[in-house]
Amino acid sequence: MRRRVLAAGVATLLLISACSEGGRAEPQQATGYTIAFVTHETPGDTFWNIVRSGAQQAAEDVDVQVRFSNDPDATRQAVLIQQAVDAKVQGIATTLVTPDALAGSVRAATAAGIPVVGLNAGIERYRDLGALMYFGSDETVAGTSVGERIAASGAKHPLCVIHQAGSVALEARCAGVKSAVPGTENLQVNGADDAAVTSTLQAKLAQDRTIDYVVTLGAPIALDAIQAGSTAKIATFDLNKETADRIKDGKIEFAIDQQPYAQGYMAVTSLYLYLKNGNDLGGGKAVLTGPSFVDKSNIDTILPYVEKNTR
Amino acid sequence: MIRLSGVGLSYGPIRALHDIDLQVNAGEVTCVLGDNGAGKSTLIKIMSGLHPHTAGRFHIDDRETVLRSPRDALDLGIATVYQDLAVVPLMPVWRNFFLGSELTTGRFPLRRLRIREMRGTAETALNDMGIAVADIDQPIGTLSGGQRQSVAIARAVHFGARVLILDEPTAALGVHQSGVVLRYIAAARDRGLGVVLVTHNPHHAHLVGDHFVVLKLGATVLDARRGAVTLDQLTAQMSGGDELTELARELRRPA
Amino acid sequence: MTRRPEIGALAAAGVIFVFFLAVAPAFRSLESFFTVLYQSSTIGIVAVGVGMLMIGGEFDLSAGVLVTSAGLVNSMFCWYLGVDLWAGAALSLLFCLAVGFLNGWLVMRTGIPSFLITLGTFFILQGANLGVTKLVTGAVASPDVSAIDGFHSLGLIFSSSFEVGPVTVWGTVLWWILFVLISGWILQRTRGGNWIHAVGGAADSARAAGVPVVRTKIGLFLAVSFLAWFVGMHNLYRFNTLQAGGGVGNEFLYIIAAVVGGTLLTGGFGNATGIAIGAFLFGMTSLGIVYAGWDPNWFRAFLGVMLLAAVMVNLYLRRVFR
Repeated sequence: MRRRVLAAGVATLLLISACSEGGRAEPQQATGYTIAFVTHETPGDTFWNIVRSGAQQAAEDVDVQVRFSNDPDATRQAVLIQQAVDAKVQGIATTLVTPDALAGSVRAATAAGIPVVGLNAGIERYRDLGALMYFGSDETVAGTSVGERIAASGAKHPLCVIHQAGSVALEARCAGVKSAVPGTENLQVNGADDAAVTSTLQAKLAQDRTIDYVVTLGAPIALDAIQAGSTAKIATFDLNKETADRIKDGKIEFAIDQQPYAQGYMAVTSLYLYLKNGNDLGGGKAVLTGPSFVDKSNIDTILPYVEKNTR
Repeated sequence: MIRLSGVGLSYGPIRALHDIDLQVNAGEVTCVLGDNGAGKSTLIKIMSGLHPHTAGRFHIDDRETVLRSPRDALDLGIATVYQDLAVVPLMPVWRNFFLGSELTTGRFPLRRLRIREMRGTAETALNDMGIAVADIDQPIGTLSGGQRQSVAIARAVHFGARVLILDEPTAALGVHQSGVVLRYIAAARDRGLGVVLVTHNPHHAHLVGDHFVVLKLGATVLDARRGAVTLDQLTAQMSGGDELTELARELRRPA
Repeated sequence: MTRRPEIGALAAAGVIFVFFLAVAPAFRSLESFFTVLYQSSTIGIVAVGVGMLMIGGEFDLSAGVLVTSAGLVNSMFCWYLGVDLWAGAALSLLFCLAVGFLNGWLVMRTGIPSFLITLGTFFILQGANLGVTKLVTGAVASPDVSAIDGFHSLGLIFSSSFEVGPVTVWGTVLWWILFVLISGWILQRTRGGNWIHAVGGAADSARAAGVPVVRTKIGLFLAVSFLAWFVGMHNLYRFNTLQAGGGVGNEFLYIIAAVVGGTLLTGGFGNATGIAIGAFLFGMTSLGIVYAGWDPNWFRAFLGVMLLAAVMVNLYLRRVFR
């Protein structure tokens, strides 16, 4: 909420400054596009921070203005998209984590002639809703590749840790892992409290000592899993600075990266290309930004980017 | 012991009380009577330190004073027992008895309550006043209204109050319970305390009062000693005097 | 019976303990018991303060995020300026006490219910945690502090653990017990405890009896913020890095622990043992479900049932033994 107010304030300021500079607002509007970037980000997730960095860099590179807004609540995210339509932006990039709730707003956008690009979530439904392109990874595919990889290293009974209740994307990842390793078990934890995550994991590992692999679905959760101190190996979805360090020193086997920076960057630049030049990327199919594996073999090349907050 | 001369209190432009003269003597019961809104509770607030007066002079033991807090008043030996907020209902009788004047031992941070002594003292003090409480540990909220008032009075007496201000102590009570409370008021008076009984019940006032002050619209309308006023006069003044005679005529059935 | 607020919680704890012993084989070990104690302590330490505050008739909804703020202030201050972590810990303590003081002062000064004032602080801290972290570090998690001076000595205080046979005992469990004992002593055996009960039970009566109501209540808010700081330090020195969005939702767990432990929602009644049992019940059920191998998605539902049951048992006991 606070963020939205802030964003609105910043947008207003930008508009005011745009007006005052040249004395006339219209030429400004004609040269640079304004793109609304709407996500279901819960404030405070390292992952979204990287998505934004990508989008921001793209905005600088191709000289468009990006207006960020986010709300984890599906109905309020729908309102944010509607607001962007009302504000007559030139393009909308949005996550489609709850396609049914967002369908109305997205259709309103396409009806108003505003191109919509999906990112991060909603790979199965983006075309039904009328979005032009999609940049993200397929959660099930990503889950399956994790499952295949840990199966190859001998995992029989992995634990898939879900840190946000009722998330379709997280459930899909675990389902993917399970499709490759049938012995997979899911565990729900409270992602907002590190101590609670650790002790819940400790309890689970004590309850079932046959667990041989812990798969976490977010980078901070992997760090809590290390604290739980067990012999089970750890793999995680997504990266941040600390997990990258732990991969380097072997505490975490590997991370699977859906390259959020690329998702943000591509969503903005693809809209730019579409608006400028009518390009359509992906050949009618979703453009996959992942999964890409990060492990000891390639961590040294990737670490500098992680430190720059772009991976 | 207490002498008010020309005391008044204004909230901004509103004068809640003006030109009040009042004397409280040891071993006497001074009754302050008045209808709702007459200024009784404002007078209590001044005397108990909840609100400093804005006009006139307030002498305690012949020294002019302005009371800034209830603590000030308590330190000068003026204790007030309020009608509805006399006690904390969920706390045991003995904790209520010592509330705000707890006995402690040891130094900070190890300063602690002398619990055994406090319980014993509370029990003795209540017995001395003739108040029978089944269990000194029971929450005071489980006592009857009259008993609660009595405990509050006993508390004030025990802590060396020289002046006891009672705010409508009998307002919410039945005849029997009121009798109990009035008996403790008499007991307090006999111990040499100056008692200020604030009430709108002239019958109760006349039973124990030595001196009567009737307030109306923030000013004194009657100030008389016991011998100089009858219960009927008091009742008449209380209920508006001439106004009532007028009303009686108006309401009379046509013959 | 009206004088024993914890009796309902104690009975419930007994029943649930036996229940999990019966259905969850993994629950039947000393290691598990101490993991449960650890889980309980991270909630229980702040609940000690929140419970005392509730006995004093006020709420604090900002306590959960204040835990995270405490860690963030410490880590970012030291990381950004390159100073010893001890300085940051002291600064963080001052910050937390200032927040607690502000909560208390605003409540007393304005007369607005503490529920609203601290809801405001809650949102301010939640936003500032994210906003400031993003400004300072460019990310939404605090930087790793394990390489900064003072990490090990502070870790010894706030997040040490030791082994007793097969069991890992976390320092927080001992701290928790200590805080519960102190709180119990204050509430039952000191003048301050008398005042806390009085300002929560009937603030006007307390004021009339000469109890410094404002000072007592502000003191309680300070106690809550001190304990929030303490747990914030634990989280920082155990996990080295904190998510800026963390701690949200825990404020209700503290309140639930206090209420389940027999603290009266309207103030004036409750005790330290009850609050501790409330926190233990939380730790036991949240992990017991996992030990039993059930889907932890059910935990919240379980928690809600437990809360309702506790409140009703307390109400019943109070009526029967009046």
